[in-house]
Amino acid sequence: MSFLVWTVWVIAACSLLSSGIAVVLFSNPFFSALALIVNLASLAVLYLLLAAEFVAAAQVLVYAGAVVVMFLFVIAYLGGRADAPWAGGPTLQSIAAIGAAGAIAVEVVIVVALKAGDRLANVAAIPDGYGSPAFVGRLFLGPHLLAFEVTSIVLLIAAVGGVILGSSVPKESRS
Amino acid sequence: MAGPGIAAYLILSVLLFATGAFGVLIRRSPLIILLALEIMLNAGNLALIAFARHAGNGAGQIFALTVMVVAAAEAVVGLGLIVAVSRQRIELDVDRLNSLRG
Amino acid sequence: MINAAWIALFSPAAAVVLIALLGMRIRRFTAGLIAAGATLVSFVCSVIVFVTLLGEHPEERTHYSTLWTWLSAGSFKVGAQILVDPLSVFMMLVVSGVGFLILAYAVGYMHGDEQERRYHAYKALFVFSMLLLVQSGNLLLLLAGWGMVGLSSYLLINFWHFRATAVAAGKKAFIMNAFGDATFVLALFLLIQRTGSVDFRVVFKDGVLPHGGTIAVLVALGLLGGAVAKSAQVPLQTWLPDAMEGPTPVSALIHAATMVTAGVYLIARTNVLFELAPVIQHLAGVLGAITILLAGLIALVQTDIKRVIAYSTMSQIGYMFVGVGLGAYGAGLFHLMTHAFFKALLFMAAGIVIHALSDEQDIRRMGGLARALPRTYQAFIVGALALAAIPPFAGFFSKDAVLASAANAGTLGWILWGAGAVGAFLTALYTFRLLFIVFWGEMTPFAREHLHVRRFEGGLAMAWPVAVLAVLSTIGGFLQVPGAWAGVTDWIDPVAQSIEEASGTTFAFSLIVTLALSVTGILLAWRFWGRLSPVPERTRRRYPWAARTLEQKFYFDQAYDLVFYESSSRAGVLLTQYVEEPVFLRSLRDLGLGVRFAAGRLSTVQSGSVRAYALALGAGAAVIVLVFLLVS
Repeated sequence: MSFLVWTVWVIAACSLLSSGIAVVLFSNPFFSALALIVNLASLAVLYLLLAAEFVAAAQVLVYAGAVVVMFLFVIAYLGGRADAPWAGGPTLQSIAAIGAAGAIAVEVVIVVALKAGDRLANVAAIPDGYGSPAFVGRLFLGPHLLAFEVTSIVLLIAAVGGVILGSSVPKESRS
Repeated sequence: MAGPGIAAYLILSVLLFATGAFGVLIRRSPLIILLALEIMLNAGNLALIAFARHAGNGAGQIFALTVMVVAAAEAVVGLGLIVAVSRQRIELDVDRLNSLRG
Repeated sequence: MINAAWIALFSPAAAVVLIALLGMRIRRFTAGLIAAGATLVSFVCSVIVFVTLLGEHPEERTHYSTLWTWLSAGSFKVGAQILVDPLSVFMMLVVSGVGFLILAYAVGYMHGDEQERRYHAYKALFVFSMLLLVQSGNLLLLLAGWGMVGLSSYLLINFWHFRATAVAAGKKAFIMNAFGDATFVLALFLLIQRTGSVDFRVVFKDGVLPHGGTIAVLVALGLLGGAVAKSAQVPLQTWLPDAMEGPTPVSALIHAATMVTAGVYLIARTNVLFELAPVIQHLAGVLGAITILLAGLIALVQTDIKRVIAYSTMSQIGYMFVGVGLGAYGAGLFHLMTHAFFKALLFMAAGIVIHALSDEQDIRRMGGLARALPRTYQAFIVGALALAAIPPFAGFFSKDAVLASAANAGTLGWILWGAGAVGAFLTALYTFRLLFIVFWGEMTPFAREHLHVRRFEGGLAMAWPVAVLAVLSTIGGFLQVPGAWAGVTDWIDPVAQSIEEASGTTFAFSLIVTLALSVTGILLAWRFWGRLSPVPERTRRRYPWAARTLEQKFYFDQAYDLVFYESSSRAGVLLTQYVEEPVFLRSLRDLGLGVRFAAGRLSTVQSGSVRAYALALGAGAAVIVLVFLLVS
């Protein structure tokens, strides 16, 4: 059992990291978006290992199903102009970016591995039905109702913003 | 719990986060920056879910779902901006987009 | 009885409010009547209080009355509280009595002035303030009255505000008084810190402050500073002669009869505190003696009729200071009272002279006025004789009471007595110099040209108060006749028990010597100025430095100018030049330039490049995590 879990985890982790790097490195955003689907799917597997069934499902449905499809629509709409070829050698900005990202990664790894190792060892027991839709629903409509409602307002505002940005701009206001 | 501990998930999460941050910092195409941002948010989500499992309650999952909603909203607005920019026939390069004019 | 005291206090205040509110709706004359009438009410009430107190046992004549808690801060409470005791009633009688006469006189004197109503309102305000000062039942309320008399004095000195000299004189008086007020306040702070109260009953209790200790000395010194400034004693005397810029009734009321004697009242009232610090009490006497001599000498060369009388006021208050400084409170206050009579009389007579000569005050342009103003001349003679301490006029009894007490007070007493005796000679000399120059001899061309005499020599309104005061100056001294009875001293005794009292032989000696000196002074004055004599002119020519020193008033003004004004203005110029400009102005400019330069450099960071911003954000996060890592 443990071996199976480990195997799944290792495969999912490798897939996660390699697809993440692929998203960042592809020069064609279409491939990047496809790599993102892989990335999200790997994450969903990891969520399942963490007993977050509903979140995993939502991840696949909402993210991979809706958000990435929206990305693909836009990329298709833009066509060739969406291409982002690599140009020029390493700049100061890129070197510093590697440095900053690497520093954050190394520092947090140090924190997790060295400073907090013991405290993370005691994993709590979880009840039956942990992470199920019923569980999440009860939480959302119970103690976290406010977050739920605020989320709906955020979505509404995003929808309004998308409509405004997507609607054609009047001619005279173009610069 | 058999299998990898919480620490492994956290390290995985931070590596993913660093990858996303690296992408945001280094790429010039706003589309790819948005994609990298999604990766960063998902890295955060992974940490949240791992902590939720560690604590044994659902707050982290709720938070992760909320983040997911925010990520969707952000993608909508970001993509809307990209479309609007491209309609103005401006090159899709964040280094060119460095001044605001009405 | 207490109600009468309250009415006495508030009736002038009511007059102020009434005059101010009625404004142009009343005639100027009516405004004067309101002010004088209110003061008359005060006087009548004071008499009622006095008579009531007379009927009580001497030890039970102290009555406190509190209307409400005026000020409260934690455990520190001050009531709107008055005190009726022999001392305050004595002062109430003097203030309201003389005040009423002068206010009545002022109705005639100020007739036809531009802003008469304002004048009368100020005058009533002054009477209210002065009554508050003498009636208050605690030191804080006393201080309030103290400040308010300073204020009304300021308002009245520059009443003729179109005269630059008057405005300057007002400011000078106010500032020098403010100095005294400041030391007074410091003394109060010290008292409050030590005793937690300003109530007379608490502060004057035995053993509250250690006898002769530093605290007692400092408290007494602060109070003395206030007294010296208010009473124009050396070294804070220079404001009083300038204050003569005010209308003459103001000079009579504030700068002769009442306000300037507030210092004497203060020392008598707080005698308990002063006796705890004998050094300071003696210092008061010494300052008084110095003032007697300085003012007497300066008065010899003054040419302004009011200034001569002003210097004489300083000198006479010097006698009072000698009295209270040596602990002869009865004698000092007795002199305060008689001085109020005869000095007000002299001022008012001088006012009539000034009016008759179209507001001329220079005595060199006067002369031979005895025939033109015979009744004024007689009044002036009465005042001059009282001032020069010639029996049986009032000044004789009071001044000799002071000097005899001084003669009884040991070595220091003898020194002060010597100063006082010389002062008596000087007093007689300058007083009769003034009298002879103004009233004797031939009329000057100026006087002939400008003289115009009204009925009763200045109108009935001005004449009758002068007459009353002349009578008082004549008989006022019999309140206390040595050897027979001591009306004032006995009356004051329960409040301020006199330490020094004259005894037989020293008294007789002192009396004879000072009387002889006074008579000599009068004779010398007659010899020099009674008829045309070359002596004064010759002396002046032979000792030009002496004349100059006297005419420059011993260079006090110049010295203060040099020490306070010149030095601070020089320092100000230097500070402007070497501190303000290089340090403040230039540093501000440099600061501005520096900020602008830095901002110019820094603005390149704000490139608009989103990636650079994101990099800063990421790098910042990395650094913060690193810091946490290192610290934890």
